[in-house]
Amino acid sequence: MTSIDDSKVIVTGAAQTRFNRRKDNSSFRDWAAEAFNAALEMAGIDRAEIDALFVASESDFFSLQLNPVALFASELGLHGVAGTRCEAGGASGQVAVQSAAQAVLSGQARHVAVIGVDPSASSLSGDMIRTLYGFSFDAMTDGFSGVTATALYALSWQIFAAEHGFGDDELACVTLQNRANACANPDAHLPRTDTADEIAESPMIASPYRRLHCSPLSDGAAALILSDAAYVPAARERASRIAGMGAATDHMHLGVRDDPGMFSAKRKAMQHACRHAGIAPGDLGLAEIYDSFAGAQLQGLAALGLTDAPGADLENGAFSPNGRCPVNLSGGLMGQGAPVGAIGVAQVAACARMLEGTYHEELQPSSPPAYALADTHGAVCTTAAVTILQNGGAA
Amino acid sequence: MIPYQMRLNYTLRSGWLAPFFDALDKGDALGRRCTACEAVSYPPLRVCPCGERDGEWVRLSGRAEVLWRTTGADGAFALARFLGAARMATVRLNGFTEGTRFGQLTTADQELPHLCLVPVEDVST
Repeated sequence: MTSIDDSKVIVTGAAQTRFNRRKDNSSFRDWAAEAFNAALEMAGIDRAEIDALFVASESDFFSLQLNPVALFASELGLHGVAGTRCEAGGASGQVAVQSAAQAVLSGQARHVAVIGVDPSASSLSGDMIRTLYGFSFDAMTDGFSGVTATALYALSWQIFAAEHGFGDDELACVTLQNRANACANPDAHLPRTDTADEIAESPMIASPYRRLHCSPLSDGAAALILSDAAYVPAARERASRIAGMGAATDHMHLGVRDDPGMFSAKRKAMQHACRHAGIAPGDLGLAEIYDSFAGAQLQGLAALGLTDAPGADLENGAFSPNGRCPVNLSGGLMGQGAPVGAIGVAQVAACARMLEGTYHEELQPSSPPAYALADTHGAVCTTAAVTILQNGGAA
Repeated sequence: MIPYQMRLNYTLRSGWLAPFFDALDKGDALGRRCTACEAVSYPPLRVCPCGERDGEWVRLSGRAEVLWRTTGADGAFALARFLGAARMATVRLNGFTEGTRFGQLTTADQELPHLCLVPVEDVST
């Protein structure tokens, strides 16, 4: 693979709505429009300049809207643009970002819009969503058993935890840190200040995962405008840019994997992205990691090569807001929330704003690093997609 | 708010997995043996992890060892290795106590066919 021209794809616009459970009768159409209009304003371009629209939405079951890209082309005033809907479970947002970036890299588009949106919380009951998520795995051989995402994540975590000697303390540590970060994020769904005891006493969902170890179901949207550097408005020339992208898949059946505790697809995706960017994992100065469950964050950090000693680095604060590589300053899925299609798009938006120095004041790194990582996966890392952003010098 | 209830009546086709589901319906375990590496997959894989596409159906005893398990609000589930199979399978556990390690495939007591184990003393009995 060749390196990405590091001046080619600029994140000119980046925005998201608040993530939460909506009770105000607003629709996913409203959230998408809110995020898109904010991103467009940040980009400083006219909507008529957008050549293509990429929409990330995990499931038509949530919105009861098939062919959503055509709907959003109309709703957002983008009539006539090329439209693509992207879906890869939890990785849908990043897959949309990467598809959009490829459209710019190929020269087929000057400016592209990416919308990630899902009404994961308010359209259906939690039980119905959980049933649908059970079909994120091989629906016929696994899903029919009624196995839940939480149960499969719990099995994968147990294998990883046994290898590293981890237990409830590590799960609590991740939970406390991500939710503490969320307390400074006005867009976050769960800005909670639980104690370790309260976490340990929350209801068991699938051992060892308790309710407070889990990310919530959320509503919300996020949007990006990605631009070819040759067409970027002068005010956005030093915005963050996409430096590396990688994606991979793993065996759909957890038990078939050589090591069911290892997120191998994430490792492979990261290797591709680092090769594209011409950097090593150690060059990353912050990361938004797919923490669908507390343990998944540690499994992710290990697979991504951000640590050789996840336990020691957790203990020494390497991933805390003042550590060598702050992780999930947004709060991650556990704190900020998880409207599935929006997750990866919001991660890239957060990284771009942190690199520019325009993120939420209390969470903004005082010295934005050179590189940031946005990491997502679908199911128990059956699909993985990671994107590396580079500081464009705006901060 | 616009309340709306929709009932979907699917007729799912089992395709190449039909022999597996036909056996499962009777409580029998039918796996797939790779013609290249001879590894048996259960549930069956169309393409072996070694890359070989050809395989033959083989009957397994349906006995399995539970290697990793989780219990919670939606029941008990496990990664279990069926006797004769090369890799683990995701299964539902019915009636397992904490110390029980071995199980036997049984017909599912729910609407959809799936791998479900009931406890036995050990895999050789």
